[in-house]
Amino acid sequence: MLNIEILIAQIVNGLSLGSIYVLLVTGFNLLLLVAMIIHFSFPVIIVFSIYMSWIVMNLTGSLALGILAAVASAILVNMVSAPIFQHIMRKRGSVDINATMVISMGMGMLITEWTSHAINNGFPISFETEAVDPHGWLRATRAPFIRAGLVSISYSQVLTLLTGIILVAALFWVLYKTKAGRAFRAIAENPDGARLVGIPLLKTGVQSYILTGILGGLTAALMALLLGQASPDLGDQLGHKVLGISIIAGLGNLGGGLVIALLLGIVEAIVQGVFSGGSWSNTVAFLLMLVIVLAKPRGVFGIKL
Amino acid sequence: MSATLSNYLTITAIFILCTWAIYLPYRMGQLHFMMIANMVISAYLGALFSGAVVSGSQVQEAINLNLHWPFILTLILGVVVSGLLGYLISLAIGDAPCFAVVIVGFAFMYLTKAIAENTTALGRTFGMFRVPRIVEGLSNSQNRLFLVCVCFFFVLLVGFWIYRFDKSKLGRAASSVFVDRDLAVSLGINVKKMGSLLQTASSALGGLAGVLYLYTLRAISPSFITFHNVGLFMTMLFVGGYTTQWGPLLAVPILWGIPLIMPESLQVWKNVFYAVILIGILMLKPEGVITRPLLRRLNNLVFKRRLKPAGSGKNLS
Repeated sequence: MLNIEILIAQIVNGLSLGSIYVLLVTGFNLLLLVAMIIHFSFPVIIVFSIYMSWIVMNLTGSLALGILAAVASAILVNMVSAPIFQHIMRKRGSVDINATMVISMGMGMLITEWTSHAINNGFPISFETEAVDPHGWLRATRAPFIRAGLVSISYSQVLTLLTGIILVAALFWVLYKTKAGRAFRAIAENPDGARLVGIPLLKTGVQSYILTGILGGLTAALMALLLGQASPDLGDQLGHKVLGISIIAGLGNLGGGLVIALLLGIVEAIVQGVFSGGSWSNTVAFLLMLVIVLAKPRGVFGIKL
Repeated sequence: MSATLSNYLTITAIFILCTWAIYLPYRMGQLHFMMIANMVISAYLGALFSGAVVSGSQVQEAINLNLHWPFILTLILGVVVSGLLGYLISLAIGDAPCFAVVIVGFAFMYLTKAIAENTTALGRTFGMFRVPRIVEGLSNSQNRLFLVCVCFFFVLLVGFWIYRFDKSKLGRAASSVFVDRDLAVSLGINVKKMGSLLQTASSALGGLAGVLYLYTLRAISPSFITFHNVGLFMTMLFVGGYTTQWGPLLAVPILWGIPLIMPESLQVWKNVFYAVILIGILMLKPEGVITRPLLRRLNNLVFKRRLKPAGSGKNLS
C-alpha cells in the first residue's frame, strides 16, 4: 500500500509527467483546431527532436545548442509536413480529417523507423553521459530538491513542472490575449467566417505549424530533462496517449485536454508507485482510456470542432 | 512446394484477410485496429486449446488444459470469441467517430499485449510454441501445402462474402455513411447497427487470421502487437485502394513480396519503404491504386461494354 509520503511524491511525479502531456496535447489540439489535421505523430516529431538535440549535444557538449536543435528540428519537420497535409486537403476537395490522421501515421512510421536505424544503431539514447553532458548540468538536476523521509523530489521534476506551467500559461496567453491567438480561435470556431472577416487562413495555418514546432521543441527539451533518455518507439506510445487524452477530453478542447492530461499523469505515477513497474502504469492508463472512450466516445468535455 | 514459397503464400493469404478486416469497417469511415488484438487473442486461445507448450521456465505454472482440440475447433473458437468481443465493444462504439474507434483499437491492443506479457501462464514475453501441425500424420511439406490451400480457401470464401456485401443494399448503405453520415441518417440508415455489423465482422476476420497465423508459425508471442503491424496493414489497404475489396488483393502480394527479394542490407528499411509508399500514394492517388472508376474502365475494356449516351433509348432503363 502507498503511505502518504509516497503518495505525495508520486503526485509531484505525476504533475511533472502530466505537464509534459499537457504540452503535447495542447500542441496536438492547436494543430487540429487551426490546421484541421489530426497530427497523430506530433509526439513522434518531439521524440525526433530529442534525438536531434542528443546529436548536437554529443557533438558540441552545449546544452543551449541542444535546446536550439530540438526547437529548430521540431519547427523544420512541422514545416516540411505542412505542404503534405495541405496537398491532401486540396486533393480531396475538402478537409478530410481521417486522411490527415492516416498520413500522419505514415510520417510517424517513417520518422520512427529512420530514427531506430540511423541513430545510435537503434539503441536508446542517454543524456547522462560525459560526452553529451560534459559539465554535468543534466546529471545535477537528478539530485533531490526536497527530501523528507521517503519523499524525494528532484530538481529535474521541479524544473519540468515549472517550465511546463510557464509554457502552458504562455501558450494560453498567446491564444486568448493576442491578435494571432484570436485568429487561431476564429479559424477554429468558423473557418469560413474567419476568411470573410479577412483572416488569412494559409498564413495563420503556417503560424500554427511554427508555434506548435516551438512548443514541440521545448517539450522535447523538457522530456530529455525529465526522462534523461529516449528510445525510438517512445513517440508511438506517446502518440496513442495524446490521441487518447484528446479524445477523452473532447477533440480540440484545450481546457479539457489540460485537465485530463494532468489527471492521467497523476494516475500513471500513482499506479507506478503501487506496482513499481512501468508496464502496469501504461496498462492502467490504456484501460482507463478504453473505459472512458467506450462510455463517452465524444469526450468528457465535448468536441470543439 | 518449398518452405519459402509456402510461407510467402500463406502469410500473403493471412495478410489479405487482415487487410480486409480493416477494409470492412472503413467502408463507413472507421479505422478499426481492434482486429490486431483479436488476432492475437484468438491465436493464444488456439495455442491453449490445441495443446501448445508455454515458453521458458514458467512452464510449471502454465495452464494445463490438457486439451488437444483439432484445427477446425480452435478455428471456430477463435472466430466466435473474437466476433463476440468485437460485437460487445461495438455496442459502445458502433457509431463513434473514426478517431474514437482508432483509440479504442490501440487501447485494446496495448491491454492485450500487457496482459500477455505479464501472464506467466501464457509464457510472458516469449509466448507459446510447439503448436501441433494442422493435420497430424502428414509430412512437413504436405502440411505446408494443406495450410496454403486452407488459407486460400478462406480468402476465396471471405472474398466472395465481401463481394456480395459490397453489391448489396447494406454495402451501399455503408458507402453512403462514409460519404455523408448526416445524409445517411436522414435516409434511414441505422449507423450504429451498420457499425456494429462491420466491426463484429472485422473482429471475427481478425480471429480467423489469428488462428491461421498461429498454425503457420506454430508459435505466438505478444511481439506481434506492434505499431509496425498496424502500419503494415494500413499501407496495404491504402496503397491498394480502400474503396474496393480488390485493392488489398493487389497490394498485399506486392508489398509483402518486395521486401523479401530486397538485398539483406535493405530489408531492415522495409518499414521506411512502406511509410514512403503510403505517404506517396496518399498524395498522388488518395483513394489508392484500385479505385471504383478504374474498375469500371477495366470492366468496360474487358467485356467491351459501352454506355449508351444519355436519352438514347430503352437500354438505359
